Amino acid sequence: MTLTAKTVPRTRAARANARRPRPRRDHPYLWLAPSIVLLVAVFAYPIVEIVRLSFTGANLVGANGDYTLHSWQALGAQGLGSILGITVFFVGLSIVFQMLLGFFIALMLVEAEKRRLVGSVVTRTAVMTAWAIPGVIIGIIWRLLYQESDSGILNYLSSLVGGSSNIPFLSDPHVALVSVTIANIWRGTALTMILCYAGLKTVPNDIVEAAHMDGAAPFSVLRNIILPTVRPVLVVNLIIVTVETLNTFDMIEALTAGGPGTSTQVLALSVYNLVFGQQRLGVGAAFGVVLMLVNVVVVVAYLVIINRGERTRA
Amino acid sequence: MSRPIVRRRVTSGLLYVGMAATTVFFLFPLLWVLSMSLKSPAELFQSPPALLPQAWAWDNYTTVLQQSPIIRNTLNSLVITAGTMVLSVALATVSAYVVSRMDFKGSKVYERAILACQMISPVILVVALYPVLVKLSLLNSYASLILVYVAVTVPFLIWFMRGFMETIPRELDEAAMLDGCSRFGLFVRIIVPAARSAIVSAAVLTAVMSWSQFVIPFIMLDNSDLFPISLGVLNLQSTGGATTLQYVAAGSVISIVPVVVIFIVFQRWILGALTDGAVKG
Repeated sequence: MTLTAKTVPRTRAARANARRPRPRRDHPYLWLAPSIVLLVAVFAYPIVEIVRLSFTGANLVGANGDYTLHSWQALGAQGLGSILGITVFFVGLSIVFQMLLGFFIALMLVEAEKRRLVGSVVTRTAVMTAWAIPGVIIGIIWRLLYQESDSGILNYLSSLVGGSSNIPFLSDPHVALVSVTIANIWRGTALTMILCYAGLKTVPNDIVEAAHMDGAAPFSVLRNIILPTVRPVLVVNLIIVTVETLNTFDMIEALTAGGPGTSTQVLALSVYNLVFGQQRLGVGAAFGVVLMLVNVVVVVAYLVIINRGERTRA
Repeated sequence: MSRPIVRRRVTSGLLYVGMAATTVFFLFPLLWVLSMSLKSPAELFQSPPALLPQAWAWDNYTTVLQQSPIIRNTLNSLVITAGTMVLSVALATVSAYVVSRMDFKGSKVYERAILACQMISPVILVVALYPVLVKLSLLNSYASLILVYVAVTVPFLIWFMRGFMETIPRELDEAAMLDGCSRFGLFVRIIVPAARSAIVSAAVLTAVMSWSQFVIPFIMLDNSDLFPISLGVLNLQSTGGATTLQYVAAGSVISIVPVVVIFIVFQRWILGALTDGAVKG
């Protein structure tokens, strides 16, 4: 339906019709061919290949290897249980804290902007900078912060508030996992902040004002007006943060490389370590398939829960 | 003073405290590394640590620049980033245009595939590609490296650009078609100019993503002459002993400066890009 055709007077309309090209034949696949070829080569092929490799005894040195279920049977012996536990801890805490921190920082910034307080741009830039820095460099920076002696800055700050000045941030297995998670929260909060900031800008200000006038408590405004408006943004955000965190490799590789021992070895790292550390392509591929499945299952689970929630609300 | 005014001031005060705390939390690690990069080895191990270096040791930077391949790494990163940016943005603009304007059977499938691609870890992709790349001698090649970079950045860009294309009024297309413009002419003369702000955002986002990329070069390159900056600084960390922390810090600062500058200059576009995408979902 064209607006132009409607508004053009009859006589000229006839002429326009004559000039109108015959319904053109589009060739969408011709236009999309480059991206399709690239995505087949770099996504479709590797996905099929990683599944195939997981059913072989392949290693990096000798090529193919025969088909076998050995890699799948070896998952348990290769520590799948503890790797999943580490991954769940790392991803779970990262999601919870990134979303909470990111949401409240965004809320604070939007409120500060409404009041035209100076400094909100500085705060926003500071948070976003953390997100722009390469993950490897973030790992290196936090390694420097976690320096394990009383000349390390975090150890020093801990001693100032009455804590130990010798926290084994990276050398104790349990502490190291917490350290890695904190560094990741520092890194990832910005993304949630940016998305929530955008969502919060769409909350209609007059409704919020009216609620305040009617004496609604701030918490009830947050719950009944703000949260429902930004809900779709929070959902997109939850999915993006989950997938990003599940697939984190660079920051941990630089910070601990999975150590000490295997105490910070999340799924993505285990794939790399098995393939390139131990040359065991088949087993590494099986872990890769597990990583893909975890991503898919979690995202599908979110979507199912959200759809169900929508239906009961409707 | 009436009560609302008092309450208003208290809230503003709390907001200032919150903003200050947030700024310190996010800037302190960076400032600390900057401070470390200007310290002498003795100061690095002094206890308690001093916030600022006594004498600013700028020669830490000269040493890193002269004795490590960091300049080379930076140039390499620039080449890879520029190549990825051009190809990825061009590909995403064309694809997003097709998906948003042409009716065809496979378009839903194509869009879903684009979303699904974003769930796959690059680790998996390069692990599976590695044996093939070895066989075809495509390791240590910028051409294959850049193609993989393009592939991992382009799905997000298509999704983002497609959202923007929907905001360009279709009347523009139709008017141009009436004037006998070809699809290609329409794309070049109408769509690209109308989408230029989104194209800038996409370019900046691609630059940031490519500059940060790590696992792909980590696996696809073993010739250290080709290493981008992320691998260069990691090498600085793993090859130096405990007495070279100041160089590691200096290398980190050098690697951050370009991306932070770009980021601050283009902040409006990045914020715009991410926020448009998110709100439209």
